[in-house]
Amino acid sequence: MADAILEVRELRKSFGALAATDGVSLELREGETHAIIGPNGAGKTTLISQIAGNLRPDSGSIRFAGEDVTRLSAPARAHKGFARSFQITSIYRDFSALDNVALAVQAHAGHSFRFWRPARAERVLRDPARAMLEEVGLGARADVLAANLAHGEQRQLEVAMALATKPRLLLLDEPVAGMGMEESQRMVQFLQGLKGKRTIILVEHDMDAVFTLADRVSVLVYGRIIASGTPEGMRANPEVRRAYLGEEA
Amino acid sequence: MNWSLVFEQLLNGLQFGVMLFLMAAGLTLVFGIMNLVNLAHGSLYMVGAYLAVAGTQWTGSYVAGVLCGFLGTLVVGIAVEVVALRTLYQRDHLDQVLATFGLILFFNELVAMLWGRAALYTSLPAWLQGHVELFSGSRYPVYRLVVIGVGLAVGVLLWYVVAKTRLGMLIRAGASNRTMVAALGVNIRLLYTVVFGFGAALAGLAGLMAGPIYAVQPGMGELILIQVFVVIVIGGIGSIRGAFVGAIIVGIVDTMGRAFLKPLLGHIISPTGAEAAGPALASMLIYLLMATVLAFRPQGLFPAKGS
Amino acid sequence: MRPRALILGGCVLLLLAAPALAALAEQPYYIDLIRRVMIFAIAAVSLNLILGYGGLVSFGHAAYLGVGGYAVGILAFYGMHNGWLQWAVAIGASALVALVIGAISVRTRGIYFIMITLAFTQMLYYLGVSLDVYGGDDGMRLKVKSQFAGLFDLNDPVTFYYLVLVLMLGCMYLVHRLVESRFGMVIRAAKSNEARTRAIGFSPYPYHLAAFVIAGAMCGLAGALLANHTAYIAPAYMDWTRSGEIMFMVILGGMATTPGPALGAFALLMIEDLLAGWTAHWQVILGPLLVLSVLFFKRGLAGLLPGAGKNG
Repeated sequence: MADAILEVRELRKSFGALAATDGVSLELREGETHAIIGPNGAGKTTLISQIAGNLRPDSGSIRFAGEDVTRLSAPARAHKGFARSFQITSIYRDFSALDNVALAVQAHAGHSFRFWRPARAERVLRDPARAMLEEVGLGARADVLAANLAHGEQRQLEVAMALATKPRLLLLDEPVAGMGMEESQRMVQFLQGLKGKRTIILVEHDMDAVFTLADRVSVLVYGRIIASGTPEGMRANPEVRRAYLGEEA
Repeated sequence: MNWSLVFEQLLNGLQFGVMLFLMAAGLTLVFGIMNLVNLAHGSLYMVGAYLAVAGTQWTGSYVAGVLCGFLGTLVVGIAVEVVALRTLYQRDHLDQVLATFGLILFFNELVAMLWGRAALYTSLPAWLQGHVELFSGSRYPVYRLVVIGVGLAVGVLLWYVVAKTRLGMLIRAGASNRTMVAALGVNIRLLYTVVFGFGAALAGLAGLMAGPIYAVQPGMGELILIQVFVVIVIGGIGSIRGAFVGAIIVGIVDTMGRAFLKPLLGHIISPTGAEAAGPALASMLIYLLMATVLAFRPQGLFPAKGS
Repeated sequence: MRPRALILGGCVLLLLAAPALAALAEQPYYIDLIRRVMIFAIAAVSLNLILGYGGLVSFGHAAYLGVGGYAVGILAFYGMHNGWLQWAVAIGASALVALVIGAISVRTRGIYFIMITLAFTQMLYYLGVSLDVYGGDDGMRLKVKSQFAGLFDLNDPVTFYYLVLVLMLGCMYLVHRLVESRFGMVIRAAKSNEARTRAIGFSPYPYHLAAFVIAGAMCGLAGALLANHTAYIAPAYMDWTRSGEIMFMVILGGMATTPGPALGAFALLMIEDLLAGWTAHWQVILGPLLVLSVLFFKRGLAGLLPGAGKNG
């Protein structure tokens, strides 16, 4: 692919005898929204973790914007423009929603070896954080303790934090998991607004979300990508049907 | 170069190492399987020593004292686990550290109340006294050889249990993935109690064997506990093999260092310099060793795989 | 939050008035006692930074009491009694030792971190014991207190008392500012959720290390004060049981709160003083008390104050 912003080549990761990632290769254009789907246990989160830098692959490479990032730590990748939301909500439960997003802003607003001035008084951190919360629909809940937010709101907060770092590559691991109908639709609508502006990898089970959002889809089964193409193409692909529906039939 | 002396110190190092192993084996299993930081492990060592002394004084028989120490510590260990430690499994490490620290204060003072603060000395029966001629001109105390023998035997026994029995399989599984073991329907509570009791008994054994060599006094457990920690960090948490290798290395390095570093330094720098620096450096040796191992292998030499 | 401020303000006033009250009641012993408590409060405040706010269970914090104390003692041994010099060295040496120990330990986590910090403290303890020229195991006396040429005389118990009070309040304020700053936020975030902190782009290591050094340096100051207070310095200051005591002060008082460590120091040392009055075997009571407090009293004393629970 000519102007691929993300190139994953032959990624492999095993846990003992289990090959969680078995030679995965992927290429993403800038601005593309790429969904990764697959049955449970296919290794989707493991793949995302390796791309995000939380897990070291056994072999293979990852290149971002022409640069080899395979050896970079998660924080380093965050500074290259990676942002991630976690499958199991991972926020700062004992801080307010605003504090949560402000921390994400802080990570990219100069250095944090400042010892005297209260961070909560810094407009340069609070204002963008507040704006982000508004965008994502949590404006009214800014001062609520994250632990006291509803599950759906916490997922929204997770996405807000990811976006607050102004990422070039967004890795969303099941963003609408556990959300009700209405909330899911709101989130999907919101994510639609991001299309084209950022490169997104979306791991999802919710097929409505996938079909609405994805430009392309890759199907992961037992650590391997068995098919890759447009959403409609996947729907029609017999191998994919077998991997997914064959188990139900 | 007095090779006879070197050999003797080597054996002393082995003897110390074997005792460290007995302590480390139980502690590393408790760390690895139950994820419990137990600072009071040294107290069990102390309890073993005191119960053995008490038993011997009471009955007049050394063997009875040994049994008293060994079984007594097993009982005390299980009691402590059931009464105080069960609630700690769920808690974070900080809570465990603090609670078991409280236990240390309690046990040290209890022992001082019952037996006083002065060091007690145990006497050995005739069949354990005396020396044995190892090879030309080299004599070594019988008792220390017995300690080495017992320690190595326990090592073999542990290896057998862990590698060849069902209990051992559960232990190994638990050390690498305790949630899985629980999910498999194993009676976790019982397993934990058994593992803890096992570790306590081994600590008690180390304690009662230590009695005749080192002084039996309140706080004796804490002195050796830190060195046990060093062993576990070097060997890797949750690994008995790591505990064994780590213990032997630490035992030998520490003993040889204390014996030979000063004279060695005296050859390199001045004897007066060595007089000051020697003992200081010797006491720091195993910690420097630990720091070095950490720099290259932060998980220790033989970490049990997984969490 | 007004009642909280009133209560704490009242405590400060009591501390300010204590020497006068003690003189009235003809019990000068209390000036000494409270001064000692405040010195340990400084140590506890420093530990609270890395333990309470940072989540680093460092079991080797008492080492810096020793380093600070020995800095004063050793300089005095060689005839250098200038307080500014001594205390600057105490703080600097502690910071340096913390840097070295921290650089190695802070990379590790969980059980390893606890054991490693413990081991390094013990190493320093043995170092102190083996240095016979400075008293070895018995330690050494401080015959001349730190001199502050005309500014204040540490030989006057009341002057020394107020100096310690000011320093204690100063340290508490310093930590208070620290934990609200950008730096403090990162430390607290790393404790709250490390994976999330790395994901947004912070590598916790340099922040943890810096906090470790700051805490060590502050505890070094406490060590210098302690040496002057007891006119004596010994390896026993670095004993790991001392580390445990300081930890308990932090927990008892309430982790990650500003007044917590000071409250904890007061509580623990007062309880010890009380129990010691009853029986020589007071530790047999204190031990289980501590266990129970860990099991049932996690919020600590600061948790009992009105307005508590509003987090950070």
